[in-house]
Amino acid sequence: MADIKSLIAEFEKVALNPAKSAAELKKETGKKLIGMFPYHLPEEIVYAAGMLPVGMWGGQTEIKLSNKYLQSFCCSMIKANFEMGMNKTYQKVLDGVVMAAYCDTLKCICEDWKVAVTDMPLIAMYYPQNRKIAAAIDYMGAEFKKAQEQLEAIAGKKVTEADLEAAWEVYEAYRAESRKFVKLVAKMPKTLNATVRHLVIKAAWFMDKKVYTEKLAALNAAIEAAPAEEFNGKKVLVEGIMVEPIALLDAFVENDVCIIGDDLSHQSRMFRIEGRKEGTVYEKMAYRIADAYADPLLLDEKKEHGKELIDMVKEYGADGVVVCAMKFCDPEEYDYPIFKEELEAANIPVLYMEIEQQMESVGQYKTRIQAFAETLA
Amino acid sequence: MYFLGVDIGSSSSKAAIIDENKNILVRVARNIGTGTNGPTLVINQALEEVGITRDQINFTVATGYGRVTFTQADKQITEISCHGKGVAHLVPGAHTIIDIGGQDAKVIRLNDKGNVDNFLMNEKCAAGTGRFLEVMARILNCGLEDLSGLAKESTEEIEISNTCTVFAESEVISQLAQGTAKADVAQGANNSITSRVAGLARRIGITPVVVMTGGVAKNDAVVRCMEKQIGYDITVAPDPQTVGALGAALFALETFNKK
Repeated sequence: MADIKSLIAEFEKVALNPAKSAAELKKETGKKLIGMFPYHLPEEIVYAAGMLPVGMWGGQTEIKLSNKYLQSFCCSMIKANFEMGMNKTYQKVLDGVVMAAYCDTLKCICEDWKVAVTDMPLIAMYYPQNRKIAAAIDYMGAEFKKAQEQLEAIAGKKVTEADLEAAWEVYEAYRAESRKFVKLVAKMPKTLNATVRHLVIKAAWFMDKKVYTEKLAALNAAIEAAPAEEFNGKKVLVEGIMVEPIALLDAFVENDVCIIGDDLSHQSRMFRIEGRKEGTVYEKMAYRIADAYADPLLLDEKKEHGKELIDMVKEYGADGVVVCAMKFCDPEEYDYPIFKEELEAANIPVLYMEIEQQMESVGQYKTRIQAFAETLA
Repeated sequence: MYFLGVDIGSSSSKAAIIDENKNILVRVARNIGTGTNGPTLVINQALEEVGITRDQINFTVATGYGRVTFTQADKQITEISCHGKGVAHLVPGAHTIIDIGGQDAKVIRLNDKGNVDNFLMNEKCAAGTGRFLEVMARILNCGLEDLSGLAKESTEEIEISNTCTVFAESEVISQLAQGTAKADVAQGANNSITSRVAGLARRIGITPVVVMTGGVAKNDAVVRCMEKQIGYDITVAPDPQTVGALGAALFALETFNKK
C-alpha cells in the first residue's frame, strides 16, 4: 500500500501543477516541448524528433485577451488555451504547438493563432471527415508528413523510420498500460477515487511517456498485488471532453461515487484504441483515428455512440452515466440527445451536467451528484 | 418518538417534526436562509410548538443548500430526494414536481412508487427562480406576497425578453418609464419565470399528477401561469415551502427504523 500511495503522490504532484511540471520536464531532459491541443495528434512524430509532447487542456486562467477573437459561446477549454498563448504563459516552456481543426472553435483558432500568437510556431492538422476509407489513410499520411517536416524544423533534426518505429512502441506501451490502469480502478475504488484516477491519467501529459509508462506499470503491479477494496458506493461511467475543475471530481469522492470507467477525450478516448500491427507507422497512426469509436469529434455516420456507451456500462458494471458536457461544445451537444434516448430506453440512469473549466463554485453540481447517487440507491 | 427535518435554503429556513406514525406535528418556515441563525430559529420554534426539547428528537436529517455546513444533523440528504419524499407523502399519485426556490429551480420526476426517477436543475444564474420575483417586487415597490394579486389585475400581455435577472431589471425599469402598468409588468415577470422552468419540465417529460413546491408556489398567479405554459393542471402541495423539510423528517424516520 505504501508503494501505491507514494506512486500516486508522484503522479498527483505532476498533474496538479502543469506549468511547473512542464518547466521541470524541460529543465531535466533538456528537450524541447511541443504543446498538443486536444487531441488525436501525431505525438509519436514529436517524440521521434527528440522532443516531448505536452498536453494543452485549458486551465484555471482568467479570460481577458482571447475575447478579442472568440465569442462568449466558445468552449472554455479552448479559450483558456488561446488566452495562455496570447498572454505568453506557454512561451515560457513550449517551443511549438500542434492543433487540429475538429470543431468550429478549433477551425477558427487554427487561423487566429497565426495572427495573435506570432512568437509560437503552429502546426495545424486537418483530418478527413470520412476517416475510414483507404483514401483517408493516405491523406492522413500526407498530413503527418507535412507535420513531420515542420516538427523537424523546430527540432533541428531529421526523423528516420527507425525513430518513428521506436516512438510508436513507446506510445503503444503507454496506451496498453493506461488501458490496464482504468480497468484496475474496479479493484481499488476507494484508493483510486475519482480525483486520484483523474490525476494519475492526467500526469501522462507532463512527463516523458516512457518514464510515465514505467511508473504506471509499477503502480499497476502494486495494485494487482494488493487486496481488493470493499466498496459500497455507486459506480458511474463519465462521458464528455474532460472533467475539471478538481472540486468537481472531489464531489464524486465526497458522495462515495466511483468513476469506474470513462468515455472522455482527456482519458480513455486517447488510449483505448490499440494500434494495428501491420503497415508503416503513418498508416498505424492513421488507423488509430479510423478505428476510434464513441468519439463525438470524429464523424460516425451510423451514430453508434449510444450503443457503445451501453456496452461500456455493461463492461464496467456501472450503475449509471454522468454526462459532463463542456459548455458550448457543439460535437458533444449533437450526440447527447441521441444517446440520452438510447440509454434511457436501456434503463440506464443518466445525469447531465453542463460544465466549464473556470467554474468558481461547484455547490449546485455537488447537489446534482449527490442526488444522482441517492436515486441510484 | 420524534423526527426532525431541516431544510436550509438560500433565502429561507424550514423545519418539520413528525412522530413515528408519520403524523405531521409541525411545519415552520422563516425567510432567512443559510449562513444565518435561521436554522436555529426554525428548529427552536418547531420544538416549542410541539412542546418538546432538542434531546427528545430521535433522528435529524438536514437538506437544502446549507445542509453540508449544518453540523447538528445525523444525516444530510439532497433537497431533490427530500422534495420527492415529501410530495409522495402529501400527494399520492404525483409524478412530476416543479420546485421553485429562492435561488434555484428543479423539476423532479417520480416513479409509480413515489421514488425519484430523474431530475433537472436550472443552470447557475437566478433566471427562473424566486430571486427573479424578489427583484421584480422591489422594482414594483410591493411586497413579494402582493405580487400575485397585482399580476391578476393585468389587462395587457407584455414580454420581458431578457432571461438574465440583472438585464431584466433594466428592461422592466424602461417599461415602467414608458408607462407600462405595474400589473402588466408583474404578469410579465410571471410569464418569464414560468417559461424558463416549463422548458426544464418539458426536457424531463411531464407526467400528471403535477405538483408545485417551494416558496414561489404560494404565488397563485405564477401557478396559473405555469399551468398555461405546460398544459397540465397543477396541484400545489399543502404548505409548499416546507415540503423539503417534511421529506427530510420522513427520511429521518426511515433511516432511524433501518438502524
